Amino acid sequence: MSTYTPPLQDAAFVLDQLVGFDQLCSDLQLEEVNSELANVVIEESGKLAADVLAPLNSVGDEKHPKVSDGQVQETEGFADAYQQFVENGWATLTGPEDFGGQALPNVLSTAVNEQLHSANMSFALCPMLSQGAVEALIAHGSDELKAQYLPQLISGEWTGTMNLTEPNAGSDLAAVASKAIPEGDHYKISGQKIFITWGDHQMTSNIVHLVLARLPDAPAGVKGISLFIVPKYMLDDQGQPAEQNDVSCISLEHKMGIHGSPTCVMSFGDNGGAIGYLVGEANKGLSYMFTMMNHARQTVGLQGLSISERAYQQALQYSQERFQGTDRDGGKIAIINHPDVRRMLMAMKSGNEAMRALAFTAAAEIDRAHSGNSNSKVRVELLTPIVKGWMTELAQELTSLNIQVHGGMGFVEETGAAQHYRDARILPIYEGTTGIQALDLIGRKTLFDKGAALQQLQADIQATAELLSNSENEKLRQLGAQLDSALLISSKASQWILANTATDKQLMGNVSFDNLMMMGYLTGGWLLAQSALKAVELQAEDNNYGDDFLNAKLGTALFYAQHYLPRISQHAETICSGLDQTFALDIEQL
Amino acid sequence: MAILVIAEHDNTALKGATLNTITAAQQIGGDIHLLVAGFNCQPAADAAAKVAGVSKVLQVDNAAYEHQLAENLAKLVLELGRDYSHILAPATTTGKNFMPRVAALLDVAQISDITAVEAADSFQRPIYAGNAIATVKSLDAIKVITVRGTAFEAAEQNGSADISSVDAAEDLAISQFISEEMAKSDRPELTAAKVIISGGRGMGNGENFAMLEQVADKLGAAVGASRAAVDAGFVPNDMQVGQTGKIVAPELYIAVGISGAIQHLAGMKDSKVIVAINKDEEAPIFSVADYGLVADLFDVMPELQQKL
Amino acid sequence: MKILVAVKRVIDYNAKVRVKTDNTDVDLSNTKMAINPFCEIAVEEAVRLKEAGTASEIIAVSVGPKACQEQIRAALALGADRGIQIETEDSPESLNVAKLLAKIVEAEQPELIIMGKQAIDSDNNQTGQMLAALSGMPQATFASEVSIEDGKAQVTREVDGGLQTVAINLPAVVTTDLRLNEPRYAALPNIMKAKRKPLDVKTPADLGVELKQHTQLLKVTEPAERSAGILVSSVDELIEKLKNEAKVI
Repeated sequence: MSTYTPPLQDAAFVLDQLVGFDQLCSDLQLEEVNSELANVVIEESGKLAADVLAPLNSVGDEKHPKVSDGQVQETEGFADAYQQFVENGWATLTGPEDFGGQALPNVLSTAVNEQLHSANMSFALCPMLSQGAVEALIAHGSDELKAQYLPQLISGEWTGTMNLTEPNAGSDLAAVASKAIPEGDHYKISGQKIFITWGDHQMTSNIVHLVLARLPDAPAGVKGISLFIVPKYMLDDQGQPAEQNDVSCISLEHKMGIHGSPTCVMSFGDNGGAIGYLVGEANKGLSYMFTMMNHARQTVGLQGLSISERAYQQALQYSQERFQGTDRDGGKIAIINHPDVRRMLMAMKSGNEAMRALAFTAAAEIDRAHSGNSNSKVRVELLTPIVKGWMTELAQELTSLNIQVHGGMGFVEETGAAQHYRDARILPIYEGTTGIQALDLIGRKTLFDKGAALQQLQADIQATAELLSNSENEKLRQLGAQLDSALLISSKASQWILANTATDKQLMGNVSFDNLMMMGYLTGGWLLAQSALKAVELQAEDNNYGDDFLNAKLGTALFYAQHYLPRISQHAETICSGLDQTFALDIEQL
Repeated sequence: MAILVIAEHDNTALKGATLNTITAAQQIGGDIHLLVAGFNCQPAADAAAKVAGVSKVLQVDNAAYEHQLAENLAKLVLELGRDYSHILAPATTTGKNFMPRVAALLDVAQISDITAVEAADSFQRPIYAGNAIATVKSLDAIKVITVRGTAFEAAEQNGSADISSVDAAEDLAISQFISEEMAKSDRPELTAAKVIISGGRGMGNGENFAMLEQVADKLGAAVGASRAAVDAGFVPNDMQVGQTGKIVAPELYIAVGISGAIQHLAGMKDSKVIVAINKDEEAPIFSVADYGLVADLFDVMPELQQKL
Repeated sequence: MKILVAVKRVIDYNAKVRVKTDNTDVDLSNTKMAINPFCEIAVEEAVRLKEAGTASEIIAVSVGPKACQEQIRAALALGADRGIQIETEDSPESLNVAKLLAKIVEAEQPELIIMGKQAIDSDNNQTGQMLAALSGMPQATFASEVSIEDGKAQVTREVDGGLQTVAINLPAVVTTDLRLNEPRYAALPNIMKAKRKPLDVKTPADLGVELKQHTQLLKVTEPAERSAGILVSSVDELIEKLKNEAKVI
């Protein structure tokens, strides 16, 4: 079992120095919110994460939720933890004040969510799904539906679920077949949904399902899908949960990881139809899903950071406790002193800090976009597939490194290193696979605007590289040169993409993954280089961080430049080859 | 220069910490008077007269002092203490309770929990739970000091001081003793025990602590526990040795199935001799132990009980 | 009933203590600071008394430089109603703190003052007792249980070897021991509300207190390190060593 220590100092650094939290709050006209408050918030949420949620992480892995009679019994201890989570108001973080929320910025909630997912991803998925339901209702629900469901969803008194996937409708939701038959002021919903995260549990007095289904006269395909609210328990006249609706969990998936999170097969309408209420307009369900998609995908990307951070902390601790080999005086050597172990730890640390910088930066762009900043809207669109795709892919490597640091002890379940690795494996899959993120990035986000958004990003990276190159600090100049070179190489590959793939969908698909990873290493490196620049500037003045932290920031950025930036060349080379041998073999030859 | 030491007693006998405090007073140097304030406390006063190094015992016998309530005792010490250069008491829960009142009323600082005397006005005391040692100089005319008993040897009890009765009683009547519930055990209490045997998470459950108790009975030892064992619900809170529990420094400390988290070490590392019994040879406890035995405690404890 | 709670800003419980290389003090630069754990218990006890309807107002006071407002805000987030910071330099001496608090007590007239039994930095265990003496109040230190009835506080105290119960007239000072309660986590809405709660700043001069130096810190050193001893191979060898070498049994 591993403990968890919230990385408060790095989170505060990224919020203050990279995101510019105080300026952001003043732009958002949040008068009472500033970085001082943010620090208190993440310190307190960190306590809950470390003391209450983290100890339950291995419990959920070992004692899986169980289903009987259509009801799911979650892992012991989760209900108490959820109760505390709700009592302490953490569910209310970003909700609008009108419905009992605290209306805090998305980027602050991102910093809090990082901790929750590090501590216990299986647990944190539950409020994460509720958050999705809240956003859908706020954006598209009628006033009546909002009044009935939002206060309890925002307080956490009830949880929310997202019922999209069906046995034949996964990445391609056009195939959704669940039915909704109008009946008076409501609809009768029937059908089966799979992979429903926290689809049922006993932690709250009600569960609010958001369900995609088709009306009888709906057009075929994506334009015929509507969104419905289906409560587990119908509300009585006082708005309290009463009679059970025609919805049940018919089985739980046996998964590779995130065992504490019940992944449900949900059945609607086994006894005549579950009562549901239309959210927004008919046939617009899928477009409503897209309004929440950037946030949802960024949150999954964030989970990549969370799980990697937890894995790093465990590796760091173990490598100091495990002694192998002897020095000249016969003393035992902690494995942290072996170069290859140190390399792995630095790969994890620098990867994590780059991911944190990227996740928070992208989250703050969502805040700015909400307040009407059009450049930020463009930037959110560009960064989201990178956050989701690259960070969850990198998490595979970093959680694997934790096992490697543990050696044989990492391969046995007892140490808990394996759990992080198994838990991480879902991340590049759900909420849009890496393949989908890669196509999104290269297609809708790059080719569609002929590289305009990309060029803005490249200009920003160029500006940072120039600042670094003009620095009086030799190491920053070196970093500037490395960043500049990486940018040049990646820009050539991007040019190749714009020139060659716009009219060739297969070529575009061939190189899309390499483009995604290249852009990930580039933006991560850019933001880590910016962090190093800030760190050196801060050292010249009175600061809250201390020389140890600030020197480490520079060292981490320099390591990243040596370890990760060269990967850009490799991906660029692959891109410019068109990877045109992808279809060289016939299916029969495979 | 004369030193007033406040005896800790239960009216019938002196508490051991008083003897250590006398030794600290001797290291400061000067005429040592020992105050026994209690009720029907003649036996305690007689015992006080036998403490080597004490030149005079002051006995105040009045119901107001029966339970050493801080308000009354502080008032008394204030009246008696003005002409002394130093006022000392053991840093027990009693001494810690009334002495700061004395200091405040004299308008002087209290030097708490000293572990060494450097000069008549300079003392060492642990700070940050023993993670640092401060040397502090008092600038006040009267030095009010509490003494960590485990840091000083006990004074001999072969003296013969005069007892003089003092009539200075005043009951402020703002506080009142209601009841007392002392741990009913034939074993010594943790903070006063010469030998302590403590169990950690490795004990597995509360029932297994019986093995420690059996060994403790052979050694006249107190039984303690690590925070991990307390948190796991094996044993009650008051058995916890560590930074947030009891800080102990016995002659012999035996750690059984305790890994040696820094919090625990902070509570016992001043013990004279430390024995660690743990099956994990990498356990940090071995780095502070004088004698380590890498073995399964479930084998060792029965054998130890049998062979002691 | 009005309750005054004193809170101290100290090094975080989990942070590593480093002694400065010149041995002048402990190095606290860039160290994580927090509310003293015993003070946090004091705040929690006050909040519980308020929730039970016994107390009507809780005032949180801290003595120190501006940074200690963070700890006052923490107390406000846990449920205190307003705060007072008394501006001084770092590490004021206990007696000076007690004198400053006594002036606040005189002005605010609380019926109960709850404080931590000691701060985990200086480990003095004296400010509460000093305040009680200066204010002419009774005290109950090392409290593990507090109940308020008929103008008195009945307090169970953790004393060496067991528990002692005393009754003290109000107003009084109670200092907390570890087991009095388990402090709650601050809830997010309360963290937000804490920002809007009033926080007064006063100086010793405002209170008419002249701070005096009573002690001088000569040096701070690392504690002597214990070195690892020897491994024995059997119970017999262990008993032999303890008897004949260490001579402790």
